Amino acid sequence: MSNVSALQDDAKSRPKTAAGRLSRLWSKNRSETNAAGYIFISPWLIGFLLLTVWPIAQSFYLSFTEYSLLNDPVWVGPQNYANIFLNDQLFRTSLGVTFAFVLVAVPLKLFFSLMVAMLLNKNLKAMHLYRTAIYFPSLIGGSIAVSVLWRNMFSLDGYVNHVLGWFGIQGVGWISNPNTSLGTLILLSTWQFGSTMVIFLAGLKQIPSELYDSSSVDGAGKTRQFFHITLPMLSPVMFFNLVLGVIGAFQMFTSAFIITKGGPVNSTYMYALFLFEKAFKHYQMGYASALAWILLLIIAVLTGINFLVSRYWVFYESEGGKAK
Amino acid sequence: MKRYLHWGKGISLGLAAVLSLTACSGGSQGASGKPEEGKGGDGSANLKMMWWGPDSRHKATLAALDLYTKQNPKIKFTPEYLAWDGYWSKLTTLAASKSMTDVLQMDGAYIQDYASRGTLEDLSDVDLKGIVDPKIIENSKINGKLYGIPLGHNGQGMAFNKTELEAAGVKLPAKNWTWDDFIAFAKEGRSKLPKGKYPIGDGSNVWDNYQYYQTAKGKGPIMVDGKKFNLDKDLWYEYQNLFAQFRKDGTVPPPDVTKAFVDNDPKGDSMASGTVMTKGVTVASVAVMEQLMPGKVGLTTMPVGPAGGGWAQSTLFLSVSSTSKYKKEAKEFIRWFITDKEAGKTLGTSRGIPINNEIYKELEPTLQPTDLISRKLLDTVIEKALPFYPAPTGWSEWVQTYQTEMEAVWFGKKSLDDAYKTIETMGKQIEAKLGGGK
Amino acid sequence: MTASRLKSSKLANHLLLTAISLLMLYPVIWWLGASLKKTEEMALPTIWPAVPMWENYSKGWHFSPEFSFAHFFGNTLMMECWNVIGAVLTSAVVAYGFARLQFKLRGFWFSILLLTLMLPGQVTVIPQYIMYNHFGWVDSYLPLILPHFFGGGAFFVFLLVQFIRGIPRELDEAAKIDGASVYGIFTRIIFPLLKPSLVTVAIFTFIWSWDDFFGQVLYLSSVEKYTVGLALRMFVDQFEIQWGQLLAMSLLSIVPSVIVFFLAQKHFVEGITTTGLKG
Repeated sequence: MSNVSALQDDAKSRPKTAAGRLSRLWSKNRSETNAAGYIFISPWLIGFLLLTVWPIAQSFYLSFTEYSLLNDPVWVGPQNYANIFLNDQLFRTSLGVTFAFVLVAVPLKLFFSLMVAMLLNKNLKAMHLYRTAIYFPSLIGGSIAVSVLWRNMFSLDGYVNHVLGWFGIQGVGWISNPNTSLGTLILLSTWQFGSTMVIFLAGLKQIPSELYDSSSVDGAGKTRQFFHITLPMLSPVMFFNLVLGVIGAFQMFTSAFIITKGGPVNSTYMYALFLFEKAFKHYQMGYASALAWILLLIIAVLTGINFLVSRYWVFYESEGGKAK
Repeated sequence: MKRYLHWGKGISLGLAAVLSLTACSGGSQGASGKPEEGKGGDGSANLKMMWWGPDSRHKATLAALDLYTKQNPKIKFTPEYLAWDGYWSKLTTLAASKSMTDVLQMDGAYIQDYASRGTLEDLSDVDLKGIVDPKIIENSKINGKLYGIPLGHNGQGMAFNKTELEAAGVKLPAKNWTWDDFIAFAKEGRSKLPKGKYPIGDGSNVWDNYQYYQTAKGKGPIMVDGKKFNLDKDLWYEYQNLFAQFRKDGTVPPPDVTKAFVDNDPKGDSMASGTVMTKGVTVASVAVMEQLMPGKVGLTTMPVGPAGGGWAQSTLFLSVSSTSKYKKEAKEFIRWFITDKEAGKTLGTSRGIPINNEIYKELEPTLQPTDLISRKLLDTVIEKALPFYPAPTGWSEWVQTYQTEMEAVWFGKKSLDDAYKTIETMGKQIEAKLGGGK
Repeated sequence: MTASRLKSSKLANHLLLTAISLLMLYPVIWWLGASLKKTEEMALPTIWPAVPMWENYSKGWHFSPEFSFAHFFGNTLMMECWNVIGAVLTSAVVAYGFARLQFKLRGFWFSILLLTLMLPGQVTVIPQYIMYNHFGWVDSYLPLILPHFFGGGAFFVFLLVQFIRGIPRELDEAAKIDGASVYGIFTRIIFPLLKPSLVTVAIFTFIWSWDDFFGQVLYLSSVEKYTVGLALRMFVDQFEIQWGQLLAMSLLSIVPSVIVFFLAQKHFVEGITTTGLKG
């Protein structure tokens, strides 16, 4: 009796159809990969839960308070958000400045990084020297020296005006003029394209050379190869640089902070600088936190759009064609 | 299976790394002498102290701290010294986490913010008789309480490029020159100086330059008692129109040249670069001008009006945190800092001209030209000095808006009337917010 | 292509690259010259000083009353070492999980990962400090190093995810058929293939954490723990700035990053030229 029922139980548990068997196999793997998945992302997950969640939650809470940092936070509800949207001219100004920066700096950087990366991908002698030389500006980062350097380059009697003089063009005080100062910061960001370029380079190195070889055999020229091999194979990396370029550009702070301090006439008053000054200079951390969360929302929406649109142009080799 | 061994190795490596890190930092924490919680019953203490300054000040202060510990073996120090830049962000962060150091250096521009929010201890009970001039103590009080012990003298005056003015045949500014003298000087300078050089600079975008004008003419400071907004419309227009005219006829540098100046930078400083002949300086900052242009610097007061001009006050203090566990020890230490003769010798002029006149007298024979010029400026300005009026708590955004508005006028993006409207409206708004009883 | 045509196109490339390199490096050349100038000379438009003041370098090196710059370099390099190890190991692991494995809520957690990149750091600084203060980790390197062991940062995880998605799944399948589990696939297939991108992670971790002024200012209080970045700031005070020494030391402080980059880029050259699909 028990044997039969045991056999019957066995029969029940063993699915009859192929689909059934497959799905059972799948579900067994499912729980295994569930565990494996979590094990693999556990370093990040643990760090997130231990070290990151609380500060982030705190900052969200603080956005509903008035917090001078020197006193304890005082709950004020959505007042900060209301003031930001209804009363704050500076909010709109800095948002405008930041959008302008993103719209120009990101494409510029992507373009130059890609072009130079392709140049550096060739097999020429002394390539490592060139690469290091070209990457150098990105190493200077946010040091004080950069502000000295940049101000000297763009001052009325600086290097840039000197060079312009060769072409007979009269230069202006680029940094101290509200019409051009944002341009100097955009230039600085573009000059430091090294990191983006290095990532493109790594991506280029991962494209199998046989693709190029076999297409040359088929008679394809350089341009055709660029558009039909390089760009598609590079698209995941391009996507990465685009998404992160946008995220980074919106949070650009250092150059505005050390070179122009947001001036003149707020022409370089980047959003992150505005936020920082609200918190540390005007002792309004609550307001600044609200500003931060609004920025997060804006960036998240734009990134989401980026992801949605990516399915039309990003090609993942491993997923055999169009990405999800 | 091999893979799990891999994994096991990886995880244990990671754990080992983290553990050793903790041990390392824990060990070095011990070495740096972190203060124990709670006082030792025997009166021993470890005072945490924080200051900013140039390298020479750090060296001098560390030596002074060692001296104190030698004289008082029960008191040890955990010093922390930074550059000016990071100091204020860090102090704010420490205040937010209620972990400010026991003793901290304070600046006249910031002390109101910290005192008004209760982060500083009242030091009125520290006995300064015979050490600090009572007038200075009174001037340093906020709402009747003393929140910082003044360390050195400071004052505001004007420096001028003696050499180049003489070469151009322009009459040099005299001590206690009036605003009318100032305007005459500017006109003469414009006509006699070569192109590209200007007799005066354009400070009309900074609120306190106008405040000097308003107070000199006897109309009082712009923010009264921290709450009332007192901007004299007629006087303001008079001042701004004066500088608008200066901009038009080239008496002051054009806006983009002015904005390109970098204070105290050898190339970018308005005066050190030879572009502008005069500059506002303080007792604390004039030494740098002497360093950049040795022998060329002449001194005078800010232009004075009927009520006086410039200011002479202490702006560098030592304060005690209201959350300190060693308030008594901290106060004793600070008093010693400005009283003890040995300390005075060790500290020298690292914090400016010592507030204690006796200590200053001892140092006098050994002073450098850069120190002497500071003293000279102090002696020059003290006669007609008015009180020092920093921006009170809650006005920082008004100060910033003032600058933005005026610069918009400079670059032709706004009319003077529009700028005035914005400045006045915001001022009244803040007045309402603050006066409305917080 | 004939030999001479090849040569001239190579020459053209060299010329172009040299021109670009000079453009990028010119400001640095100015910097080197300025670091050797006297303070008064800084105002002049010349590149090279009349008399190079090499003592700017030696004075700068020994500026602090207690430690020479060697000590600060040592501190920073130690921190960097740990940062790089942590970032390289854990970012690869986490990225593999997100890129190759299906698990419940994967999309949710990935979005959270990206969201952490989008919140400006300035507003989490204070709560973070309060938290670390509570743990007792202030005045130590822990708050600076530990985050790298928890995935190395969302930036690198996302970067590696993109790279992994570029690796063909056929390789995974092949390994699976050979009996490998997901762990095996990671260690034997994916991790080795990620070499160029891991070098990238290492380089960037090194360079970016070197520069993290705010974090270092907050969490390192005792001067003996100072990094090069903090020590450099000591040259800049409220009023006086020792320009020569500042520029000299700033230039020196970049040297390790340059060396790291120079050496590490060899691994780019050995990139993937075949994916092993032929078999």
